[in-house]
Amino acid sequence: MPKRTPSNPWTKPAGKPIEGKAIPRPRRTAEVQAYLPEFLRGMAITMRHFFKNTKEMMLGQKPDPVLEALNEGVTTICYPEEKRPYPERFRGLHRLTLRDDGSPRCVACLCCSTACPAQCIHIEAGEYAEGDKRRGYERYPKTFVIDELRCIFCGFCVEACPCDAIRMDTGIHATPYDSREQFIYRKDLLMEFTGRDGSRTSANPRHEPGDPTHPGLSREQMDH
Amino acid sequence: MATIKIDGREIPFEQGDTIIKAAHRAGIDIPHYCWHPGLSVAANCRMCLVEVAPPPGRPALQLDILRWDPEKKDYVPARKPKLVPACQQACAPGMEVLSEGSDHVEEARGAVQELLLLNHPVDCPICDQAGECRLQDYWLEHQGTGKRMQQEVVHKPKAVVFGPTIVYDAERCIVCTRCVRFTAEIAKDPILSVRERGNLNEIVVSPDRELDHDYTLMTEHVCPVGALTSKDFRFKARVWFLRSARTICQGCATGCNAYLDYDPRTNTPHRHRPRDNEEVNKYWMCDEGMLSYKRAVEGRLGAALVGGEDASLEDALAAAKDQLAGIKDDPARVAVVLSAQHSNEDNYALLTLAKTFIGAKDLYVSGRPLGRGDEILMSEDKNPNTLGVMQLANAPAPKPIAALFDAIKAGKYSFVIALGAEIEVEAKDAESALSKLKGVVTIAAHDGPLARAAHVALPATAWAEQDGTYVNRQGLAQKSERALKARGDARPGWELVSKLGKELGYAMTFKTLAEVRRAMTPEAPAPSRDADRAAKPEVSA
Repeated sequence: MPKRTPSNPWTKPAGKPIEGKAIPRPRRTAEVQAYLPEFLRGMAITMRHFFKNTKEMMLGQKPDPVLEALNEGVTTICYPEEKRPYPERFRGLHRLTLRDDGSPRCVACLCCSTACPAQCIHIEAGEYAEGDKRRGYERYPKTFVIDELRCIFCGFCVEACPCDAIRMDTGIHATPYDSREQFIYRKDLLMEFTGRDGSRTSANPRHEPGDPTHPGLSREQMDH
Repeated sequence: MATIKIDGREIPFEQGDTIIKAAHRAGIDIPHYCWHPGLSVAANCRMCLVEVAPPPGRPALQLDILRWDPEKKDYVPARKPKLVPACQQACAPGMEVLSEGSDHVEEARGAVQELLLLNHPVDCPICDQAGECRLQDYWLEHQGTGKRMQQEVVHKPKAVVFGPTIVYDAERCIVCTRCVRFTAEIAKDPILSVRERGNLNEIVVSPDRELDHDYTLMTEHVCPVGALTSKDFRFKARVWFLRSARTICQGCATGCNAYLDYDPRTNTPHRHRPRDNEEVNKYWMCDEGMLSYKRAVEGRLGAALVGGEDASLEDALAAAKDQLAGIKDDPARVAVVLSAQHSNEDNYALLTLAKTFIGAKDLYVSGRPLGRGDEILMSEDKNPNTLGVMQLANAPAPKPIAALFDAIKAGKYSFVIALGAEIEVEAKDAESALSKLKGVVTIAAHDGPLARAAHVALPATAWAEQDGTYVNRQGLAQKSERALKARGDARPGWELVSKLGKELGYAMTFKTLAEVRRAMTPEAPAPSRDADRAAKPEVSA
């Protein structure tokens, strides 16, 4: 009976059977046929890893799972007790950096929420109250909300921020919560997070009004 | 007509025109900060410098300068043509002007930009002008490099409160004096002036005064940078999120052309700003008008009311049918109230219902009471469409609403069908008068005395939520565009009238706005002059 040619025009030239390289079936030698020698060889590999891992664990000689991952040997880790360190530029959760006085560096310019392709950032701008030393100069975010479930972790918000106020250098993943509400991160929480080095400030300091390094806002403080 | 040549392009000018004005009219944008087509010439920003070719047979005016030679590492003597500010140089027939085409002009513009930005705090993230700032635009167009000054910038007062509506930031100010000239020349209240000299100068308000006249928000609008900000708009929205609709201001009978800037994501209007129209408002608007955008969302009638209780539109229409049950037996006992607050289309629909179908003889017109007017823009009549209503219902002319209540007291009417919520008389009198009637149906966008006194109130869209035509005090019919989506159950007034007519058993057929407009064309003048303006090239002032 002639072999039926497939009729799908997209998978082959019309009217011709599919051409290909014939691969010979592996020969069923006595060794393979017998099954037992192959089983023992596999078992030997498993046992070698088992004893090696046990020994290294006991003696504390286990190789670094990241740096020596390409070396010989087994480099499994005991997650979550052990965690692989993320690379330096890993984008974790967002955080808001703070000034020395603890106020957020964010000036609610909405550049991040404009740049956000997932539209997961919502900011309402506010003005510091009358009498505040940052009054007039600075606006600040009255609300700053990030929906981490919507976020695609592209990092555009960090790129867009002209004040280095939003960063993704916490090095942590979102905790697996069980409701959407818990993934809505608000200003307080975002200001709580620290960078991987444990600091809440930014690595790029600048003259901020109100800081001792700032030349001042009023005529009295002018010196020129 | 005499012409001048700008970069090889022939441009006609009128006697007395300056170069920039002729260019502006022809749609060529010569960069400028201090020049404004509606204000006097100050020529202090120097951004509009152009090269004017000398008259035939005369040598060009040249300046001796020192130019840095990077090879010799020294300054060498050079010559360059003397540039003139285009805002101040009057046109002469056959004059040849080089603007974009001249290297000297390009160099000068870059240098002027650098000078203006020397002490400017580049706090664009905080500044409310960001996104519509001349400094940003021209920096990209004409400079594109950093400034060479390394020293700390001059610091000046920030967030100076000028008055109830305006906050001033001296650091961002480039002292173009547009605001000073505006208050003196247009608002006729010269309370702003410049103090100090050089890089210390700043704008100040006269001692013991506040910037509190009727045109304070315009000073913010004429400011080309973010130095003046309005408290109302400050930090509320970013301009790049806003869309603009070409509306007509509803504040008074002047009918100023405006843009309503709204956020389509939240369906919220954020500000009104003037739209140039030489015949109506030129470039200006009053504070009351600029703040009147709030009425598009404030105090709205969100759902239909039957006896003061919320109801669905269907129920309300059915209730209206019950209320107006005896209307066909005695059309003489029906009073129809048109509204000077509503567009021509709404009024026309109601007029059709009243005249053609019901056969009502008596027309009244409602609206907001008279207010303050002035010589500049504000009208005493605070209704945008008084003239439109008068033109539509010219025979018989509608009577003022006070006469309606007198007639009701005399027992003349049993039914009232009304458009609009506002009345010029005491709300209490109106309510007591209307409560005696058999049926009162109101179609209103806002919650007002007329809506509250009605047995059935139908929710109409506010002016910002529908296209409409309004006739201003000069008799100009102007179209206003829809900006927002309708809130709640609101439907356009003409549609509600049509539905009411159908419910009452008449053959009202208006289904689209275009149908209403087609039907009213013979009676109302087509708003053609507005369309002409739309076709003109737009160069922002």
